[in-house]
Amino acid sequence: MSISRRKFLGWMSAAGTATLIGRRSQAATTHHFEGYPGSMGVLHDITRCIGCRRCEAACNKVNELPPPEKPFDDLSVLDKQRRTHAGAYTVVNRHEIDGVAGSAVFNKKQCNHCLEPACASVCFVRAFSKTPKGPVIYNESVCVGCRYCMIACPFEIPAYTYDDPLTPRVTKCTMCYPRLQKGLLPGCVDSCPTEALVFGQRDHLIKLARQRIEKYPDKYIDHIYGEREMGGTSWLYISGVPFESLGMRMDLGVTPAPDLTAGALGAVPMVVGLWPVLLTGIYAVSQRKEKIAAEEQAAAVSQAVTQAEAEASAKLAAAKQKAETEKQAAIEKEVKKALAEAVKAQEEAAKARQVEAEAEPKAPATDPEPN
Amino acid sequence: MMHKGSKTRSGRVSTAAVLALIFFAFGSLVRASAPPQEPEQRADIIMIDDLKAFGDLERPAVPFLHSKHTEAVEKQNQDCKTCHIETEKGLSYKFKRTADADKATAMQIYHDECIACHKSTAESGREAGPVACGDCHRQNDKMNLVSNWQAIDLDSSLHYRHVKANDKKCELCHHEYDKDAKKLFYAKGKEGACVYCHQAQSVENRISNRLASHQACITCHRQRLAQNRSAGPVNCLGCHDPVEQQMIEKVTDVPRLERNQPDVVLVKSAHQPSTPNDLMGRMQSVPFDHKAHERYNNSCKVCHHAALDACVSCHSLEGQKEGNFIKLERAMHILDKNASCVGCHSRQQAAAECAGCHKSIPQQVPMPEDTCRVCHRGLVPRDLAPLDADMRTMIAGELLQSRPRVSGTYAEEDIPEKVAIKTLVDQFDAVSLPHRKIVLKLAQNIKENPLAGYFHRDPGTLCQGCHHRSPESLKPPACNSCHGTVREIKEADKPILTAAYHQQCMSCHQAMGIQKPDSRDCTACHKKRING
Amino acid sequence: MSDTVAKVDRHLFSPFNIVAGLIVIMGGVLTVLRFKGGLATVTNLSDYNPWGIWIGFDLLVGVALAAGGYVTSAAVYLFGMKKLHGAVRPAILTGFLGYALVVLALHYDVGRPWRLPYPFIMQSGTTSLLFEVAACVALYLTVLFVEFSPAALEWLGLKRARSLVVKLTILLTIFGVVLSTLHQSSLGALFLIAPSKLHPLWYSSYLPVYFFITSIIAGLSMVIFEGSLSHRYFADKMDAQHLAEKDTLALSFGKAAAFVLAGYFMIKMIGVAASDNWHYLATGYGAWFLVEMLGFVALPAFLYAVGVRERNVKLIRVTAAWTVLGIIVNRFNICLVAFNYRLPSAERYFPHWMEIGISVFIVTVGLILFKFIVTRMPILYEHPDYESH
Repeated sequence: MSISRRKFLGWMSAAGTATLIGRRSQAATTHHFEGYPGSMGVLHDITRCIGCRRCEAACNKVNELPPPEKPFDDLSVLDKQRRTHAGAYTVVNRHEIDGVAGSAVFNKKQCNHCLEPACASVCFVRAFSKTPKGPVIYNESVCVGCRYCMIACPFEIPAYTYDDPLTPRVTKCTMCYPRLQKGLLPGCVDSCPTEALVFGQRDHLIKLARQRIEKYPDKYIDHIYGEREMGGTSWLYISGVPFESLGMRMDLGVTPAPDLTAGALGAVPMVVGLWPVLLTGIYAVSQRKEKIAAEEQAAAVSQAVTQAEAEASAKLAAAKQKAETEKQAAIEKEVKKALAEAVKAQEEAAKARQVEAEAEPKAPATDPEPN
Repeated sequence: MMHKGSKTRSGRVSTAAVLALIFFAFGSLVRASAPPQEPEQRADIIMIDDLKAFGDLERPAVPFLHSKHTEAVEKQNQDCKTCHIETEKGLSYKFKRTADADKATAMQIYHDECIACHKSTAESGREAGPVACGDCHRQNDKMNLVSNWQAIDLDSSLHYRHVKANDKKCELCHHEYDKDAKKLFYAKGKEGACVYCHQAQSVENRISNRLASHQACITCHRQRLAQNRSAGPVNCLGCHDPVEQQMIEKVTDVPRLERNQPDVVLVKSAHQPSTPNDLMGRMQSVPFDHKAHERYNNSCKVCHHAALDACVSCHSLEGQKEGNFIKLERAMHILDKNASCVGCHSRQQAAAECAGCHKSIPQQVPMPEDTCRVCHRGLVPRDLAPLDADMRTMIAGELLQSRPRVSGTYAEEDIPEKVAIKTLVDQFDAVSLPHRKIVLKLAQNIKENPLAGYFHRDPGTLCQGCHHRSPESLKPPACNSCHGTVREIKEADKPILTAAYHQQCMSCHQAMGIQKPDSRDCTACHKKRING
Repeated sequence: MSDTVAKVDRHLFSPFNIVAGLIVIMGGVLTVLRFKGGLATVTNLSDYNPWGIWIGFDLLVGVALAAGGYVTSAAVYLFGMKKLHGAVRPAILTGFLGYALVVLALHYDVGRPWRLPYPFIMQSGTTSLLFEVAACVALYLTVLFVEFSPAALEWLGLKRARSLVVKLTILLTIFGVVLSTLHQSSLGALFLIAPSKLHPLWYSSYLPVYFFITSIIAGLSMVIFEGSLSHRYFADKMDAQHLAEKDTLALSFGKAAAFVLAGYFMIKMIGVAASDNWHYLATGYGAWFLVEMLGFVALPAFLYAVGVRERNVKLIRVTAAWTVLGIIVNRFNICLVAFNYRLPSAERYFPHWMEIGISVFIVTVGLILFKFIVTRMPILYEHPDYESH
């Protein structure tokens, strides 16, 4: 089966048009997203955290989450490192620095509301979105439950309600988006007794963090965590001890998550555009090869046939010629024979006549001709 | 159509390949799963890299464990002379040689002597060192050795013990060098620390501090030990092992060093220049209690880090080579060096008694102008120039006596005894703050600290520790004068009242190492409201 | 061949049927448990490990091994290797069943399977490679179904429909290769988003390329492997041409696989070099990486080559089975072993027996369907009413 030119061109333009749909690929640009202007964030000053867990209690209350196994004023839960889970959007952890007893440092962990969130990038139903106000929010009504967001989040924040058979959902901090809409503060920020959490515009918070570090250089590590990590997050941290010792990874890099897959996504329209051409070409080449092979075979066959025919007719002609010659020879032979017989007959007739003549009186021989 | 022969051959080939793979995989898994051993900590590691003087090393430097060898040698009833040649100056601290002539000879000595000894030791059936090249010239990361060598400081206590042991014969250790005569000689009144001349690296014939201290210390210790007198250590660990260092006896009340040092000094803010006009427009001089400061540090070297001279003799106003181009102003005021006045003073603020307030006070660079006068109280250099040394000393003494010092705060009856913090009664009852008790305790801390007294120039200064960002006053403003109850996003750095209280109290407790009340024990400070 | 389907001596209670039946019953029970108690009841999935063997095996391995469909149809129809014509239908059937079962497995894994069409009908997350996978898999499943349908139509005797569909073969084949390239590579690209969680020896910006190339290897090997199984268990369903082609397929595909495996080995090493990751080879994970590379890539490349040269079809078949195992090892490594390599062992994942049970159940369903179709429809033989395409 071969394709007509028309069909081919039709498919190509269809494929090409398809690639025009969609936004410009970010893969090869120098564009850098600095966050929506005026977007909000939270600054967590780890030197101020006393590990009282009131933020956890407030979060639980504000989001109407089920009560936990151990109450929030039970500080023995801090003996183990915890992560966010289905019933807890945020956790406080205690860290002993370098095994020095009594050197406890506490920090709070929750969704960092990245400027370019990995979860939003990988969700195939756009259940996550980065709001201009700052929070990254989750739309339960479209979530299929593929849990790719949990794979993608570099901070290991999203949790899943695996226990729920029919309405499972992803759980994570929402920066109390509904409260923000009403002009209230996030629950944790409001409840912190030492203001280890400060809510404000992200760029102002960065300035504030820098000021604090400058004013108390012996108190803080000179780094604002979240300023550039994974392209920048809305939840920022300053600390008096190295971030690694708090379980906060310093090796995540500054590349925003979507940039990690931009290259692969960019290749899709290339494949869609080029593969049909390539494959059609291969098909055409293989067809052509077959066709040529067929033609060559046909040519060879017809040549053979012609040759055979020529030979045959030559043979026939030769045979005919031979037959003709033989016939002639035969005819000649017969003619000769006939003539010879005729002569013989004549001689015998003459002889007979002679005999007759001798038998009669001497009649003048009127026929003097001899035989 | 299968060919039987090929089937067998490919079968063999594939079996061989599979077997090879399994061996490799197993082997690598085993090797990779071997747990890394804990590195050994030793204070006696000497990296033999003398040949560096002759160019790049061909092989890695050899880690040599000195104490291991001294112990082994001692077990054989031998001593240092097994490896170190005795000269008239004492032991040569090089290995079996007195000097390094060239690369080949030095290398040969090491190889021949080390390997020969190791071989003979091994032959005698004892545990011996390596003989193969790679076993000595080991790569750093495969060594599994970590050096916990610690430098030893001849602080005033240790110095005093030496002074006593040698009957104050300073000439036994202190010397100067005559460049022309190329000789060492003793100069009385010019004794200084070894590090003033003997630096980290040997420079021509001025040997490094390491060589100098080993030569001087160990030779003397060995001599005394040979005479059956008490002496310091002769092996690495005795001085440089952290544990053994801790065990060195410390004299608590070290008598003052006798070096003709002044009791009080009027620190000049400019060196004596060539013309008087150069003294125009200089800072006021600083009266300095040298005698008191001798007690504040455990070694003269803290301030006199390069010479027992006045700072200004090296650190000129504009910066010069002798002072490493550190200008006088910087040398006196830089924050992160103990030799600097301001640096050392600011370090005092980190002490537990002071940190409660001072940790929350932001660092101000440059410092506020009104603190300059605490030190700069003397005459300007222009007025000092005509005065002689005795006059200046007298002026310094008087200024020091007259320096204002606030050794406390307001009178006890003026300090509210208890302050009820009841503006935020909600989940918790009002706090009854034991105000006077706290203030008096802090005042006690200042009383015993002269430095604090000089800088706390007003009785109300102490109050500013909590009543901050307001002028000194007998009746300073309460916290709720500035800290509101509604969070204002624009005032992100001013905590609301609850947080202000908590931050102030909790950070002070944490900085001062106060365990009780625990920050998270809410009821320790305020009772929970039952109907709250 | 006779024009009636040969009556085979297949009992209802054959060993295969009994075992398969038990597995199906177990599968039914587990299905009920899954939808009654939620994922927590039947899996060891956790917040740290959201993807287990249902993704690692059923999705990743399943899609890779079903690649035989596009590889074979491309070889025969686009590259013109007519002598392998008999391998197309079994490969397409395996592909079709494979992808159908992947979709079935997703219904277990995903939290709300009835919402699986949402990316297409509600909101499309086009920045997500998973969207790309979903779209291409959905389209490709359709393509495979249409490519498979001639066999069914022949069985049903719908001649006109059948000839109509057959006319679409080239178009479908091209479309199938395009879609396969896209989704096979995108399955690898899924992991590009998590460089901090995947061990450096397996994480690479070339992941999409690696997955695509290994899908070709998987396809080639799976067709050989499954061909050898079919010849063993369904020889009675094969016509003379199929039986004669027994070795041709193994030899041609074995040759191709040798080359592709060698090429893959090269590009993997280039990947390690490009990221300067050689020092990882001295670690435990490095040793395992070498086992995967040497034992399951270099070794089969070598053995395939030996087998082809010596015309040792048995060796090729064994190598094919070994390579299939290697693909499983590779997908498991990326999804389960090297993923979350930094977590302490207490947080690492090992499948729950019920997860394994569901996977076994799904594979068994596939085998049952395969057997059903192959014993009734003209897959392993040509229907006499239709001339060979």
